[in-house]
Amino acid sequence: MRSDSDLPPPIAEAKLAAPRLRANAVSRPRLLDALDGIDEAAVALVAAPPGYGKTTAVRTWCAQREAAVAWVTLDATDNDPTRLWSYVATAADRVRNGLGRGALQRLMLPGGSIEYAVDELLNALATFDRELIVVLDDLHEVTDSECLSSIDYALARLPPSVRFALITRTDPALELAALRAGGSLVELRTDSLAFTTDEARALLVEHGEIELGADDIETLCGRTGGWPAALVLASVWLRGVDDPQRAVSEFGGEHRFVAEYLSTVTLGTLADGTRDFLLSASVLGRFTAELCDDVLDRSNSASILKNLERSNLLVTRLERGGWYRIHPLFAEFARFRLAAEAPDSEREINRRAARWCLERGLLAEAVEHALAGAEYEIVADILVEHHNALIRAGRSRTLLRYIRVLPGSLISERLELAVGAAVATTVVGRGALERRRFLELVRRAQAAEPGRVSRYVETSAAAARAMAIEPDVAGAVREGRHAVTLALAGEDESVVFALSACATALYFAGDLEEAWAMAMQAVEHPDIERRVAGHAMARFALALVALDRGQLDTARIHAETAKSLLGDIGSSRSWIGAEASAALGSVNAAEGNLVQAEHELAHAERLFQDEVASVHHTWLLLLLARVRCRRGRLDAAESELASARAAIRELGEGGRLRALADDVEAEIVEAAARARSGEMLTPPSPAELEVLRLLATDLTAREIAAQLYLSANTVRSHTRALYRKLGVSTRADAVARAAKLGLLEQAESPM
Amino acid sequence: MPLCDYRVVVDGELSDDIAPAFEGMSLRREEGRTVLVGNMRDQAQLQGVLQRISDLGLTLLSVSALDDEPSF
Repeated sequence: MRSDSDLPPPIAEAKLAAPRLRANAVSRPRLLDALDGIDEAAVALVAAPPGYGKTTAVRTWCAQREAAVAWVTLDATDNDPTRLWSYVATAADRVRNGLGRGALQRLMLPGGSIEYAVDELLNALATFDRELIVVLDDLHEVTDSECLSSIDYALARLPPSVRFALITRTDPALELAALRAGGSLVELRTDSLAFTTDEARALLVEHGEIELGADDIETLCGRTGGWPAALVLASVWLRGVDDPQRAVSEFGGEHRFVAEYLSTVTLGTLADGTRDFLLSASVLGRFTAELCDDVLDRSNSASILKNLERSNLLVTRLERGGWYRIHPLFAEFARFRLAAEAPDSEREINRRAARWCLERGLLAEAVEHALAGAEYEIVADILVEHHNALIRAGRSRTLLRYIRVLPGSLISERLELAVGAAVATTVVGRGALERRRFLELVRRAQAAEPGRVSRYVETSAAAARAMAIEPDVAGAVREGRHAVTLALAGEDESVVFALSACATALYFAGDLEEAWAMAMQAVEHPDIERRVAGHAMARFALALVALDRGQLDTARIHAETAKSLLGDIGSSRSWIGAEASAALGSVNAAEGNLVQAEHELAHAERLFQDEVASVHHTWLLLLLARVRCRRGRLDAAESELASARAAIRELGEGGRLRALADDVEAEIVEAAARARSGEMLTPPSPAELEVLRLLATDLTAREIAAQLYLSANTVRSHTRALYRKLGVSTRADAVARAAKLGLLEQAESPM
Repeated sequence: MPLCDYRVVVDGELSDDIAPAFEGMSLRREEGRTVLVGNMRDQAQLQGVLQRISDLGLTLLSVSALDDEPSF
């Protein structure tokens, strides 16, 4: 079975829709004034618990400012930087066609860096001629550190006409201190967002037309603390009772948690039909009238919603597509009520909603409802068809999150999910054990029922093993060759991936000729433009083979091509980015650019770190050890070599790794010998020389620090560096060695 | 972190309807507050409870580990 999808991954439209402005909302000019402080700043932070009118305040403010708005309502699935910024870029694109295009393209590069895409977006936004406000609503849902770093990155680089408004229930783990100190942050917090008695009166008496006296308003404000959501619920409730003043005085004596109490009594005032409707709709979160009709077996949802929206604030309409949203706190407590009255209905409602969304191609929404309803079949069906699109669009993390929720039996039935997940772990990194589990599922199925495993699955699994060098180098080569045979015979989309993966395995096996041939075949494939990941992998293999052959220029060309395919790999965090970094680092090492080489190789080594030893990681340890040795950092080199040796034993590997380890060891031994015999590998810095001069006197460490106007710590640190460079461990030895090397004469004359 | 009972106190009295939100914890109303007590397997579970409290708009008053006290 072919599973291919060049479609872009599905977008949940409702996430890009701000709530519609209400004509009869309570006007709160002081909030708008506070937000206008952004004229001198760049970022507005609106932070308060749920139900404080944050979204409304920002929405109203944006309208008043006549700015263009790119609105994104975040949720837990946005803990994937690619997905988060795809939504922001799409929202920008809706402001003006083309604003988000460049960023979206960069986001689709697998293994590309997020910062690269953010730069592209900010550059595009800078060209927009009016003020643009990017609103991130429900930012508290985003906790992933990579996501947060990318937001920090953006906030530090905003063009003058672009502002960010962050709406959140909890203070985000962003670097706000710097923004605050620089006066670039405007904050609107709970105490400001709480209703004043005047505003409460406007809501209840003027807009709500409820007969209440000043005392009643005081009581309500006192009990609720000015919590807007509670006051809104109170207004709905009190409009439905005969004697509002008595109701308020009873409420004043109540100890029950305000939001729950008010939700309950409000439900009590509604007509049965409306009550039932709201109880059920509260499960849906976001919905349209059609969705409600279908899921709740009705035909009158449209008119109910219109009425509700007009008469009270339990339901809000969003700006686009006929989507509605229920008052979130009310919905929370309504759901509990529903669970108490009809225990299985929540799950059933989600299942129906999932099917409705699926039928209309609302795939992102369908998955969310299906997961909430534990309707895993639907999730599996969608992912089987779209997993490649997700990976290609850089949403591997999202894909993994979805797949992990599915029962193992379901994945065993649909092995496309297992291979999709295996590839996704490789893109995301640090998933060796998980990858093995998924590939094991495939292997078991192959062993048990060979006919059941489709060619696509078999090819992908083999290619994944080759790419990750599993189970070992020899095995990876076998798998790679198998993948290539199958892919070429089937003429399907896996060809480039299979060829590149096999080429990598062949390189590690030492089969340079064949590795080169395969990688070239990949690069020359007509499909290569669309297969960025496979392309980068092929270039990686070509660069390394060229290096082995001593062809530095060729190697550099291929390594640079790999890098440019992925954007700025300096901040890329994926396996493929690591390979590109390793290739470039190796080239730099060969050319003698040791500082640059160390930086790139260290980056790659960190990315290849995983729960278990791997060929890639061990290889990087050795490359790093070699460069560090050449830079005179023998301790680090020795430690890395030791780790590598241990890993080689664990992996049971011979071949290239062992040969490389032997080479590196020989280099280290020689360097250590040179150091011991008095040759300095790295000369001391001028600051270190100053300390050295005084070490040769009678002064204590503290006196040396005082004389040089340094802290004791600094002197200690220079001293340690000197000992290391001189290959000694005591002050006396250091002085003796330094004298022998003529270093003491180089130092300034004593004061 | 070994298994330990935690006591979490929030402002406002919650009805028993809400108990499912805090599965595995006992719920006791006391003079305008609610006391939730339960055994926490690990920090992740405890943080989940705190998250739930935040989502419901509750005001958190205190969280304490009941190291040597018997569980309910």
